Amino acid sequence: MKVTLISIPVLNQEKALQFYTETLGFIKKKDMPLEGGNRWITLVSKEAPDGIEILLEPAPLHFEPSKVYQEALMEKGIPYTQFDVDDVDGEYERLVALGVEFSVKPTVMGTFKFAVFNDTCGNNMQIVEML
Amino acid sequence: MTFYQSEIQRIKTACFSNEKQLETVIGVKNYIKANYERDLNLDVLSHLKFVSKYHLLRLFKKYYGMTPRQYLIDVRIEKSKEQLQQQLSVTETCFAVGFESLGSFSSLFKAKTGKSPSEYQKEQLSRSNSILKS
Repeated sequence: MKVTLISIPVLNQEKALQFYTETLGFIKKKDMPLEGGNRWITLVSKEAPDGIEILLEPAPLHFEPSKVYQEALMEKGIPYTQFDVDDVDGEYERLVALGVEFSVKPTVMGTFKFAVFNDTCGNNMQIVEML
Repeated sequence: MTFYQSEIQRIKTACFSNEKQLETVIGVKNYIKANYERDLNLDVLSHLKFVSKYHLLRLFKKYYGMTPRQYLIDVRIEKSKEQLQQQLSVTETCFAVGFESLGSFSSLFKAKTGKSPSEYQKEQLSRSNSILKS
């Protein structure tokens, strides 16, 4: 058994695809049409093209508990998940320049530095650097 | 301040308030990252920060969730991937990143990545070729 996929609930798949590829820098791996205009869209990171895929899942549009959960996390400022980076400060500057909104600026916590931003699709996301 | 931010503050105060300990483990971790190809062991690492090796082991596990040796192996495996992508042989890669035995390198590489070093190298080569053709 191995981990191959994590899903991120998004309110708009096309908007999410643009944000996660053009702004964050992930690469589209799969894009298959499903029923009702939904798509099976997965992304990988440039550094690990064979690594774990992110699924941009339209669950909040079709499953009420997913919508409720996503909204509750957003309201409390809790990140849905996190991505590792080599340099949180550098990534923060790069993303701010692209118009990304951060709820937590780069902050040291023990042996890690992190920051939290809005993915424009209903989620807070955290970037983390091991110090 | 959001609920998340206040929780972070609370946990930071509860778990990460000992600056001296943090400075010790971060210094050791950065030393390992910069000197992964050398013969590193707990004696060497503990002398760097003037702490006992058992104290260092406890601190490192407390703040990174793994031992210095596990971290060293992770760094070496990541570096070996870069070397294999640059078409160094498996044997050259093994010694370049600091492993002393081909057997332990191969078994650790497989345990960490799910593939043997040669399988990984073949996959990377075939990926580069397909990118060149497309």
